[in-house]
Amino acid sequence: MISMLCLMLFVPRVFSSSTQVAVIFPQDPALWMGSSLTATCTVSPERGLHANTMYWTLNGKRLPSSTYGLLSTNGLSVTLHRLNGSQQQSGDNLVCHSRDGHVLAGSCLYVGMPPEKPVNLTCWSRNTKDLSCKWTPGGRGETFIKTKYTLKYKLRWYGRERECEDYSTGKRYTCYIPKDLALFTPYEIWVEASNQLGTATSDVITLDILDVVTTDPPDNVHVSRVGELEDQLTVRWGSPPALKDFLFQAKYQIRYRLEDSTEWKLVDDVGNQTSCRLAGLREGTVYFVQVRCNPVGIYGSRKAGIWSDWSHPTAASTPHSEPLQSGSCDPKSGEQNSTLRRELKQFFGWVRKHACGCSGMSIKLYDQWRVWLQKSHKTRNHVGKNNIPFISVPAQHRLHGYAQ
Amino acid sequence: MSGHVKNMCPQLTISQAARTLLSLLLVAAIDSVSAGVVCRKQPCGSSLQRSLKLTKLIHKESVDLLKTYKLSQGDMSELFCQMSINNVPDPNISGLDPSERMLSIYSHCKAFLPHLKRVTEQQTDLQPPSSSLLSKLSTAHNRTNGLANQINCIYQTLFPNLPIPPEPVDGPTSVPPSQNVFQQKVYGCVVLKRFKEFLSRVTRELRTLKSQVCTRRTTFADTNALF
Repeated sequence: MISMLCLMLFVPRVFSSSTQVAVIFPQDPALWMGSSLTATCTVSPERGLHANTMYWTLNGKRLPSSTYGLLSTNGLSVTLHRLNGSQQQSGDNLVCHSRDGHVLAGSCLYVGMPPEKPVNLTCWSRNTKDLSCKWTPGGRGETFIKTKYTLKYKLRWYGRERECEDYSTGKRYTCYIPKDLALFTPYEIWVEASNQLGTATSDVITLDILDVVTTDPPDNVHVSRVGELEDQLTVRWGSPPALKDFLFQAKYQIRYRLEDSTEWKLVDDVGNQTSCRLAGLREGTVYFVQVRCNPVGIYGSRKAGIWSDWSHPTAASTPHSEPLQSGSCDPKSGEQNSTLRRELKQFFGWVRKHACGCSGMSIKLYDQWRVWLQKSHKTRNHVGKNNIPFISVPAQHRLHGYAQ
Repeated sequence: MSGHVKNMCPQLTISQAARTLLSLLLVAAIDSVSAGVVCRKQPCGSSLQRSLKLTKLIHKESVDLLKTYKLSQGDMSELFCQMSINNVPDPNISGLDPSERMLSIYSHCKAFLPHLKRVTEQQTDLQPPSSSLLSKLSTAHNRTNGLANQINCIYQTLFPNLPIPPEPVDGPTSVPPSQNVFQQKVYGCVVLKRFKEFLSRVTRELRTLKSQVCTRRTTFADTNALF
């Protein structure tokens, strides 16, 4: 009984005798990409298995016997050249089999490269409360094996080095510092990368939290018609509440698109207003609109912050125009809906009002209308009673060959 | 002196009553708690039905868990699952009568827990942090613990006079010692394969138990009412 116990104590740490009956060397090695490896599989002699009946597989693929070497009656080697990066982070499975395919032993290979210094380290703060940072691995080779990245930071002029702890935001190569951040004083931040083959450290970036602030997208974005004007919509929104105590001047951007289009048009000159009128739109059409905010001037700073995400899309439609009165000036119903058509309708409307009907129709009349149009746009672009900036998409076409 | 003694008598009486009451309360508390779980008595049928539903859920998830595990270990991992390893719970439910079989389910659940935990620890080192395998392993562990507690309570309700043995020792004898990576891959596969098979058996067993035990207790209660 005692001898049985002693025998059990000296059994190597393998599976039970019914499972792993051999030993592979080396066990779980870390290797450089492009390097070579010679591994050996040694079977316990009492198993009665001869090495020349065994074979190797790597990640399930049988290795050619030309790579084998018969070491002894119970030892078989394999030599692999120019190793590729590991197929999975848990390691490539190098397995020694008996003739009938049973697994005799296995070893997991970790083939990759030592890390290069991480690059593109950028950080941002949401409402000055926290700090998120992201970076990119410096090299591709390190991605084949498990490489640990540690984000470190310290106050530039005093304070101890600290490590970011929360890497679980769901995105790779990011870290989140939730609290206890100082303002008006610069931080030094860097990333250290390490794996089984080496280590590397990124360049240090220096930043003040207040210089990298972003905020929440504007809420309560409403888009509505401007009376019966078929080519305009008004957009209104609220300023982000999280920064209301910081006395900053935000600036905004609007983007909008047609319902069935993927192309956004950007309106960049909104300034710090919380409403805006879009013009030059297509009548009877649904538009999707989004707004985003940049927290310029936190605590009096003149530096721009980081643009927020876009708000959720809000939709609204422009009104359909009233059908035109009958007469020789009416456009043909079969004409395509286009900028030209819209301009014609506007022109005819103006003619009916100001030119006493269509009897004196000429290209000169059209030119007079164009002059009137420009003058009225200039007037409307100045600040109106509602302080709503007027933004117009100018007409592109000029009539050619109209009736003399 | 006698006055002092006379004055002490009411306090002694109160003290004795308080001790008696406290003892009764403690006994009652211990009676309804077993293995650290506080159970409330619930109808037999609905309790077992709940456990059955939970078992089906864990079983369904265990199929996906095993699949995810194999994909994470690389090619050839199917062979790993077929290797035999000592000390991993077998999937079979033992016992002749319902109480023994229910106890076997409970014991097996408890026995799988340290192995699921060990596999989770090992895979945490082997997989990228974002791997869905890790969250699935954690879910399997939590749900199995919940199932064990449910079975425990049902057992106490149905068989109040039959004690539940102490929990299995969670120590080096129940999970294997440190292993190389290849051994870890094999170990995890065997654990999860047996876990899946065990849950399949538990599903069948709970259906049988429900029809056997809950019907019998209903009959037993009606019989008593005749006297």
